[in-house]
Order: sequence, then C-alpha cells, then structure tokens
Amino acid sequence: MDPARRLGPAEIDALAQLAVSTVLLGGIYALIAVGLTLVFGIMRVVNFAHGEFLMLGMYLAFWAFALWSLDPYVVLFASIPIFFLVGLVSYVLVMRGVITASHNVQIFTTVGLSVALQNAALVAWTGDFRYIRPWHSSVVLRVGATAFNLSQVVAFLIAVALTVALFAFMKLTHTGRVMRATAQDREAATLMGIDTDRVYRLTWAIGTAAVGAAGVLVAPLYSVYPTAGLQFVLLAYVVVVLGGLGDMVGALLGSVIVAAVEVVGSYVIGAAWKEVLYFVLFIAVLVFRPAGLFGQRGAEMLGA
Amino acid sequence: MLRLDRVTKRFGGLTAVREVTLEVAPGELLGIIGPNGAGKTTLFNVIAGFYRPDEGRVFFDGHDVTGRSPHAICRLGLTRTFQIVKPFGNLSVLDNVTIGSLTRVTSVRSARVDAERVIETCGLAPYAGVRARALPVGLRKRLEVARALATRPRLLLLDEVMAGLNPAELMGMVDLIRRLHAEGLTLVVIEHIMAAMMRLARRIVVLHHGELIATGAPAEVAADRRVIDAYLGEEFVLAQA
Amino acid sequence: MTSGLLARRGGALVVFGAAALAPLVVRDTFFLDALVLILMWGAASAAWNVASGYAGQVSLGHSAFFGIGAYSAALLSARFDRSPWVGLVLGVLLSLAAGAVIGYLSNRLRGPYFALSTIAFSQVLLIVASRWRGFTAGSEGIPVPFRPGFWTLGLGHVAWLYLTLALAVLFYAVEVYLERSRVGFQLAGVREDEDAAEALGIASRRLKVAAVTASAALTAVCGALWAQYVGFVDPFYVFSVDLSIRFALNTIIGGTGTALGPWLGSILITSLETYLRATFSGVKTGFTGIYLIIYGAVLILVVRFLPEGLAGLAARWRTAAARARA
Repeated sequence: MDPARRLGPAEIDALAQLAVSTVLLGGIYALIAVGLTLVFGIMRVVNFAHGEFLMLGMYLAFWAFALWSLDPYVVLFASIPIFFLVGLVSYVLVMRGVITASHNVQIFTTVGLSVALQNAALVAWTGDFRYIRPWHSSVVLRVGATAFNLSQVVAFLIAVALTVALFAFMKLTHTGRVMRATAQDREAATLMGIDTDRVYRLTWAIGTAAVGAAGVLVAPLYSVYPTAGLQFVLLAYVVVVLGGLGDMVGALLGSVIVAAVEVVGSYVIGAAWKEVLYFVLFIAVLVFRPAGLFGQRGAEMLGA
Repeated sequence: MLRLDRVTKRFGGLTAVREVTLEVAPGELLGIIGPNGAGKTTLFNVIAGFYRPDEGRVFFDGHDVTGRSPHAICRLGLTRTFQIVKPFGNLSVLDNVTIGSLTRVTSVRSARVDAERVIETCGLAPYAGVRARALPVGLRKRLEVARALATRPRLLLLDEVMAGLNPAELMGMVDLIRRLHAEGLTLVVIEHIMAAMMRLARRIVVLHHGELIATGAPAEVAADRRVIDAYLGEEFVLAQA
Repeated sequence: MTSGLLARRGGALVVFGAAALAPLVVRDTFFLDALVLILMWGAASAAWNVASGYAGQVSLGHSAFFGIGAYSAALLSARFDRSPWVGLVLGVLLSLAAGAVIGYLSNRLRGPYFALSTIAFSQVLLIVASRWRGFTAGSEGIPVPFRPGFWTLGLGHVAWLYLTLALAVLFYAVEVYLERSRVGFQLAGVREDEDAAEALGIASRRLKVAAVTASAALTAVCGALWAQYVGFVDPFYVFSVDLSIRFALNTIIGGTGTALGPWLGSILITSLETYLRATFSGVKTGFTGIYLIIYGAVLILVVRFLPEGLAGLAARWRTAAARARA
C-alpha cells in the first residue's frame, strides 16, 4: 500500500471489512481465552492443556454432525454440561493433587495432560484433517460493502453471550464472589471457611466448559485435527498475557488486539507472516509489560 | 564500617524508610528495633543491595555500595540473612553451607571442610546430611546464620533470627551471636521483641514509620518517651519485654 | 571411595558400556538405528536438563535451538556445499546468541511466564523457517545430501553409534561437572532460591544466562548431527513444541537434574516409539501415538509421585539396600 495515496472508496470499504473481521474474530478469541485467564487468576495455574479441550470440542461438533447431522449450534447446548463434566473429572484425577505444588510440577502436569489428550485423539480419530460445512457456513451476509459468513457471525454472537454470562456469574453471584475472594488470597479464604477445593474444582470445570464450547463454535470455521488446539492456545496465551494473566476484562481487550493484529497483518503483509507479528508482540509484552498492557508491574517476578 | 547517609526508600506513595543516617563501628553489635512495618527489613534490603534507595547513599568499608548488586556486596564482606528463611530446600544442610563457603573458596573440597567447621560452630553438625526443608523452624534459622557465616562476612546482618524460637533455642541463638561478636565480627541485628535485644546489644536504634526516632544504650532507649509511644499500639510486646 | 563411585556412576557405565559393546553382538541396522536415536535424544534431553534441570529455568521452546543447529548444518551442506561440521559450528554460534537472549528473558520472567516466552520464541523460528521459501525451502523442508566420509558426516550405522556415544559421554560429563563443581553448587543455589543465592555472593543473573546459553549451544550440536543422521529437515518437526516436550519428557521421566536421567528416559520413550512405529507403520499411523498417551499419563504421575524420576528411584533403592546391609 502506498501511504501517500489518499483513501478512496475502495480503501474505506477495505477498512470497514477489516474492522468487522477484527470484531468477529476478537469475540471468538475472547471465549477461547477467558477460561485460560479464569483458571490462572483463581488457581494460579497456567493450563498448557487448554488447547486440547478446544480440540475435543471441535471433534464433538464434528462427530455430532457426521454421525447424526446435528448442527454445531445444537451441539453447543450439550457441550457445556459435557465439558463441565470433563473439567470436573480432569480436575479430580489430575489437578487436585498438584494445586499447591511448585510451578514446575504444575507446568508438567498440564503438559502431560496435553500430550495424552492430543495423542488420544490421534489414535482414536487419526491425524486426518476433517471439515464440517453446515448450511450456514456457506451463507454470506452483506452489509454495505462488507461481507462475512453467517457461521462467523453466529459464533461471534454466541461467544459474546457466553462470555458476558460468565462475567455476570463472576460479578453477581455469591459463588462468583467466593471464587474471586479465593483468587485474592488463598489462605485468608481458607480461614474464612471457604472450601477452596470446591472453588478450584468449579473454576477448572467452568474454564473447561468455556473452551469446549468455543471448540464447538469454531469447528465449522476451521479444520479439525488432533493438534488443532495448539494454534489456538498459542493465540490464547498471547491474548491472556496482553490482557494481564488472570485479568478477565484484560482478556477481552487482548482478544480484540490480537484479532486486529491478525486481520490487519494478513491484509498488509500477507497471511503467511501474520503469526510472526503476534508472537513478536507476545514476547515484547512479556519482556516490557509482563503484567499485561493494563496490569501492574511486578506480578511476573513474584511468579504469581 | 557501615555508614548510611540519609537513605530514603519509597514504594509508590508509601515511604518505607525516610532519611535514615546511621553508622556502625567495627566490632560493634548494633540492635535495630521497631514495631511491625517500621521499615527494618526494607532497611536491610537497601543495605544488602536488594533495593536501590531513592535517595541517600550506603558506604561499606569505605566503598560506596549504593545500588550495587547483592552478590557484589556480599563479596565485599557484608552478608545478610532473611527474616522469612530461604533455605535451599532440596539440598542437605552441608550443601547449603558449602554454597556459602564457595563464595570464598574455589575448590569444592576445601569448601566442604570449611562448611563442616561452620556447621560445628552453629551446632548443626548432627543435621549435616538432612535436607534443609525437613528441618524444624528453629534449626532453619540456625542454618540461615550458618550459611551467611560461611561467606566469611566482616559485617553480618541478622533479620529476626530469634523470632519464633522456643526458650531453649533462643538461649542457644543468643549464645551463638555473643560468641560471634566476641570473635570480632561486626553485627547488626533486627529484632521485633525488645527483651532479647536488651540482653544483647550495647547500642540500639529504633525505627518507626521508616524514621530513626531514637538511638542509645538499651536502658536509655527503653525509657525514651517516643519509643514507648511507638510501641503503644503493641502493649502486648512490651508486656513480654 | 571406589565402591561409592561405582554406585554413583555404575548406571552410566552400564548404559554407555552396553551401547559401546552392542555393535560387537548385533549388526542389525534396525537395532543400531534405535540405539543411535536413544543416545541422540538422550543427549538433546541432557542439554535441556542443563537449563531446566540444573538451573531450574524450565523451557518449553528448546526445539528452537535444535532447529537452529539442524538448519545450519543442512543449509550449509545442501545449499553451500560446506561440511556439516562447519554448519554445526555455525549452529552453535547462532544458538549461543539466541540462548543469551532467552537467558536474559529468564532474568525478567519466572516459572510459567518464562516457559511461555520460550514457546513463543520457537514458534517465531518455525514460522520463519517454514515461510522463508527463498532461503530455507519453506515448509517442504530440506533434504540433506549423503556424501560418504567423516568430514561430510556420511557415515554407516556403527560409526554413527560411536559418534553419538561420544556425544552422550561428553554431555554426561558436562552434567557431572554441574553436580560436583563450584559452578554446579552455585547453580543449585540459584535454582533453589535466587534471592538467597544472591545474598550469599552468587552472581545469579549471570549464572542463569550462562546456563541457558550453554544449554542452547549443546542442543544445537544435537540438532546439527540429527539433521545429517536423518538426512531431512522438516521445519514443522524440528521447531515443534512436541520436540521441546520430548526433551522435557525424557529428562523428567529419567530424573530432572540428574546426570543419567535423560538417557534413562530416552531408553524408555525412544524404544517404545521405535517399536510402535515399526509395528504399525503404514497400517495405522495413528497408532504410533499410543506411546505418547502413555507418556503423557506417566509424566503426570512422575511429577507428582516420583519427582526425581527413575534415577531418584534408583537412588532410593540404593539407600534402602545400604540401610538393609547396615
């Protein structure tokens, strides 16, 4: 692009399209990232298996569509309780024992979970790329000069609705407040009679349900394969670190930033190189603003 | 030997240490007391190089050590202990102390010999092979002192090494500190509880809200109006004293 | 003293001795190939162990350095017709620089933050290697020409075995040095508690950077040799997070921060992988993933119940045996 050139109608259209794409993508990234940041904020665990739950959500959507022709948006309603349960089980079997352990133990526990789940998918469903294309993924909506696909719009709306619901839960319900209190001070919470084990169990299950649902939502938009979670989870890390690990509102802003970098990056320098942009951004933020763009400094040195 | 010149350290809006000027003579045993949150540990962190003061300078043995890194200051001969003890948990007591010795001795073999001697001095010999994390609190405090001693300091900063000890352990620690002092080591000792300090130090300084409010012999300090006021909210502690 | 040495180093003697004697007994290339890979993955894991085990800076991006080594050797030999040994040296130099950068990050970031930054770093290299078509041949990868001779690293299986064995023994010696030397003690102090180490006169920051840098360089050596051995460099493999995890997996299962651990882990993981690959290759490629499911589960169990790995288990048995004798 020639920056000296004045914006003509074509450029304005392009900008509108970029803006809309950014918002749509940002909403979906937010739902993917919000569980990760929730788990970190309350349990102080970076979940390296987060992407694998997303991948399982994608497979759930795939098989429901392939076997019973169920639309992903129908599967979505089932996926939330299913992944809540998956979260409960994985918490009890895997996470409960290491909740007070050192960072390194926690890192490798979730890495181990990630390796096991990824390869379980590989063995069960092979490494083939699979696609689902329900009717709505080929419907193109046009508003003015911008065009987008119906699946993307619906995914965005549902993702935003779910994220808002999660926010409301954390802010307004008693359980949500108890969870936030535990995040503030684990020991004080215990002294005040809060059952921290229950809080962690619930946190992990909610985080898993959110990302599982996100997996179902993105299944019509991307290909489904055993390591599909990796690209998204790397994105989610970027989002979450940008917003400040554990900061839910920050995660929303981070999602939009990452989406903007991705959308504008693919437009300006091509899709092939856009990822370099956000990883460079990621490392830069880790180094210069480790507590996130909006957070307080120092959290990373506490190893918080 | 140690001189602080109007040292100030702020955290955001809070001034943890305000314009503290202080001198420690060679061979002295200086006590620092003050209520909780008075800035005692912050002062140690500034002296030992963990915090850079916002204003003022720190001199050790004629060197301006303001803003130098903790390891450089340790190598000059000034070592501190931590109030919340920081043992190398997975290593044995002997290895813990050996790491201290290795700052002065290059060969691991002689560092071991050195460490064994220090362990003996500190009464930790029976626990030499025990993992540090398996030690009870009283012995961990001793290990903290032993490790610092192994770096052969000329000035040792002890941060509440007597807190949380039972009476027998306390006696042992007081005895150890006296012996080290008798051998010519210069010491600065922080203690929250006045009673222990009264028995140890010839000169005591009192910190309150980050400011040095009194200095003098234990009896003078204890009678000082401002000191009593400072501790007023903590009658419990005074009663113990 | 001698018997103590034997008890401590006996395991290494058995493992490396068996590898040295193996070609006298078997000449089967399948078997020799497995041995070479066991030794090589063990060495790469030992390199990871230097930063993550001994210095406590857990990296999940060490494939970056492996890939740097592999690409340096492969590009120099395939594109510029230079000896892979020159490529190895180049890879080491580049990794020293990259390692110093990552090591510097370890001074600013701790625990999970550091691990995340290393993943991001390896991903950036992956993207560069797979997209920079003009130079790296992009995502197709680079075939490495086979030219017989030591200088060109076109060797037979037995020669490769002794070369990787020499590499393994060298890396093992580096680790033993890290257990017994002054630097090793100081590094252990930094790993256990950085503030305490600093207060005791240890230049903790410099030491961490040095450990991560050395670890990066050792990893690059493995990458360069591996590229020549396998004859093909695929960016999606050499820069993958999976590969980084593999280094960690070997080491943790064998024993983090122990000298022989990386090879103990490698024996288990590499041989089961090789077996599954041979048994199911072509039939059901997905089946080779079974070993990773098992190891994912084992990893979870080991970090929780046996944090010192197989080497720690062996040490426990030794003490128990000694106590039983006494």
